[in-house]
Amino acid sequence: MRTLILGASGYIGQRLFQKLSASEWAKPAGASRGRGNADSNAVHLRVDTRNLKALTLALKEYECVVNCVAGDFDSIANGARTLAQAAMAAKCKRIVHLSSMAVYGRTEGNVSEQAPLDPGLGWYARAKCQAETHMAAFARDGGEVVVLRPGCVFGSGSQLWVGRVARWLRAGRVGDLGAAGDGWSNLVHANDVCDAIAAAMRLPIGRGGMPVFNLAAPDSPRWNEYLVDLAIAIDATPVRRISARQLRFDSMVAGPPLKLAEKFLDKCGVRRPWLPEPLPPSVVRLWSQDIRLIALAATKVLAMRWTSYGDSLRESSDWYRLGAKQ
Amino acid sequence: MIIDSNSIPRDTSLVADVCVVGSGAAGISLALALSDHGVSVLLLEAGYAHEDRRTQALYDGEVANELLHSPPDKYRLRRFGGSTLIWGGRCVPFDAIDFEAREFVQSSGWPIPYDEVAAFYPAANALAEAGRCEYDADKVFGPGAEPLIKGFASTVVRTNSLERFSCPTNFAVRYGRRLQHAPGLKVVMGANCTSIRLQPNAEQVQGLEIATLSGNRFQVAAKMYVLAVGGIETARLLLASRNVTAAGVGNEHDVVGRYYMCHVAGNVGALTISGAPNRVRHSYEVAPDGVYCRRRLSIAPCEQRRLGLSNMVARLHFARITDPAHRSGVLSGLFLARNIISYEYGKRLQDGAETTFVNRLKHLRNVVMGPSDTSAFLLHWLAKRTFAERKFPSVILRNRTNRFSLEIHGEQIAQASSRVSLTDRADELGMPRVRVDWRYSPDDVDSVRRSLDVMSSEFERLQIGKLTYDSNTLEQELMRFGAYGGHHIGTARMGNDVRTSVVDANCRVHSAKNLYVAGSAVFPTSSQANPTLTIIALSLRLAEHLLLRLGASRSAQSVAATSP
Repeated sequence: MRTLILGASGYIGQRLFQKLSASEWAKPAGASRGRGNADSNAVHLRVDTRNLKALTLALKEYECVVNCVAGDFDSIANGARTLAQAAMAAKCKRIVHLSSMAVYGRTEGNVSEQAPLDPGLGWYARAKCQAETHMAAFARDGGEVVVLRPGCVFGSGSQLWVGRVARWLRAGRVGDLGAAGDGWSNLVHANDVCDAIAAAMRLPIGRGGMPVFNLAAPDSPRWNEYLVDLAIAIDATPVRRISARQLRFDSMVAGPPLKLAEKFLDKCGVRRPWLPEPLPPSVVRLWSQDIRLIALAATKVLAMRWTSYGDSLRESSDWYRLGAKQ
Repeated sequence: MIIDSNSIPRDTSLVADVCVVGSGAAGISLALALSDHGVSVLLLEAGYAHEDRRTQALYDGEVANELLHSPPDKYRLRRFGGSTLIWGGRCVPFDAIDFEAREFVQSSGWPIPYDEVAAFYPAANALAEAGRCEYDADKVFGPGAEPLIKGFASTVVRTNSLERFSCPTNFAVRYGRRLQHAPGLKVVMGANCTSIRLQPNAEQVQGLEIATLSGNRFQVAAKMYVLAVGGIETARLLLASRNVTAAGVGNEHDVVGRYYMCHVAGNVGALTISGAPNRVRHSYEVAPDGVYCRRRLSIAPCEQRRLGLSNMVARLHFARITDPAHRSGVLSGLFLARNIISYEYGKRLQDGAETTFVNRLKHLRNVVMGPSDTSAFLLHWLAKRTFAERKFPSVILRNRTNRFSLEIHGEQIAQASSRVSLTDRADELGMPRVRVDWRYSPDDVDSVRRSLDVMSSEFERLQIGKLTYDSNTLEQELMRFGAYGGHHIGTARMGNDVRTSVVDANCRVHSAKNLYVAGSAVFPTSSQANPTLTIIALSLRLAEHLLLRLGASRSAQSVAATSP
């Protein structure tokens, strides 16, 4: 299956490319705004996914496109609209769209794919909800779409949910958070996300269908458990108990100036290993959100074999420890 | 969902698969475990999230001897979260020997094997926020870690068992959000269960009568009912429910309320360790998971069996606070501040000794003469206790002299004459008040005495130090504060014989097919351990049993693995 991976230089895009390349049934090519991997012989297209003409041209040779595009609101929301239009024009019949659990917004409790979307939780949720709307329009127009809504993707190489969390743990800014860390982590291994994408690419669906799947390992624990386990695994011990007060101060008071300083130094090209990483309020809020993704549909329909939490944790902490040593 | 009982229409009936009465450590753990498996649960709480004196006054009652037992309204809270609002946080699993039928411990033996409860300790540990379920100091801190006492290598007296400390976790605050969102779970605040109504044939519960202090009344009709109201209130509720059986529910053989146990506790003896103070680790240590832990002395189970001893632990403690001869500014400061410390924590600072003006002056002198110690203590206390989320568990003084007393916490032997019964007086809702007649036996004291003798011999044999105590005053020392407060055990004890027990191995009341008891009321023996951790573990085990009975949608076998 000739497949174009948008966002191929990203964390999931890279893994997916490797996985599909190793398969006998897929012929993947990567696309991103950057150069891709210069050492690789792989096909890599430089495409701005917001450019309809360029994207339409790029998609002409592909039967399937996987949308792993990350970035700002424009890249996610408008990029998805452009993708839907380009795929329709290029007769690329299937889109596998990587959405996010963020589309459920403030919803709490057990959440299946039928739960209503809630874009009211910041720009990211709004962008992801809009992107799904564009995907639905593509399906209505006769295209085939599979939407995947992963929880927090981790595993080796995950800066978002392993690297920076480990650094916060090491700095004693995060630890056992009590009630502030009582939300479900909804962690899912990056390999499992790639497996789900691969299954979604070949999933038989009728014309105009748009199946949606939550992706979260069934044994993913609550955040506190993950934070304590990771801290112990990387020797960030003894694990500190962090008060909600301290957490709020770190994210709400210290966070904004740290973020500004980060952006400023980046623009000036100054390396900033000494600057504490800001603790985003959105992450702090997520840690306490009692939302549990129910991924039974993915288990059944996509025949997922989830990587166990223990194996994922081991791999993640090994990766971090190795990186820290180097 | 959390609702107010006054919002429920009068004389209507709330319906659920399971109704849990009481939202303390047992009730909340049980309700969350059930709801997680697709069962509809009503969790009734008599109080509210805030303090309410009228509600608390419903706990008022009598004690036979105030010197031996605290008033019934102390050490328990009729409030959302129950007594987890005031507990000290000490978490210790029972030992396997506690479950054995021991000839030398009257009425001992559980009808279930230890492993059946132990399987739930990891989940209980997590709920109590007591970290990993590992209580062996060598495994927690590694074989290279310093021991309790350097050179004390004994197979008779163990020094590597740990107690872990919860934050201490207030279950209402910690799990309020979960309760709010748990599917199928409804928490009803201000709902006082005043009676368990049996069916006319007395074989099972027909419903519960609920009353509020503002005058509302309604009923609950469930498939299963669980009393999770603490050791004293369980007996009260069973005994006061007489619509069909005059003696109360489950009391066909006059067992309800009997075999009431607490723990035998006190500071005794003088232990002097030879050598430098750094040979001893008497204070709290922090485990890798961030939890405070403390080592203690205990007699190895095989020696307990050989010598016929009840279970007991001893912690290295400081001198008697009330005696200013200790010269400690910190202890004297605590003594002088005893009247502003809550009853539950101040009680052991008020031991009945005469507090003369001269005595108070001596304490004041200690404070003034040790300003650096006192200031350092206060700073440490503020940082690690007052403003800390995970609180430093208790006052521990720096060891400068290698001289300690032993803080004993021992098993109390169950006896039928120690009991909770009803009085003729009624509370505001018309329920009879309780009378607590706690009794200990000479065997309790004798076992502590012989355990101290064993420890003393081992110190002497190993030439590590010297342990002495006054055998003549031992009973007085152990009973100085009476029963250890807050540990209300055995009033609806578990067993296979209906003549000597109230509930069966599944915590089901023998004579009522759908009525269960969760909590320390069902413990047939009291162990050396504080009860909370085992209360939670048994509640999770009960959840598993109820799920099996109800044929719940998800695998009941997974409660141990999925909780919390």
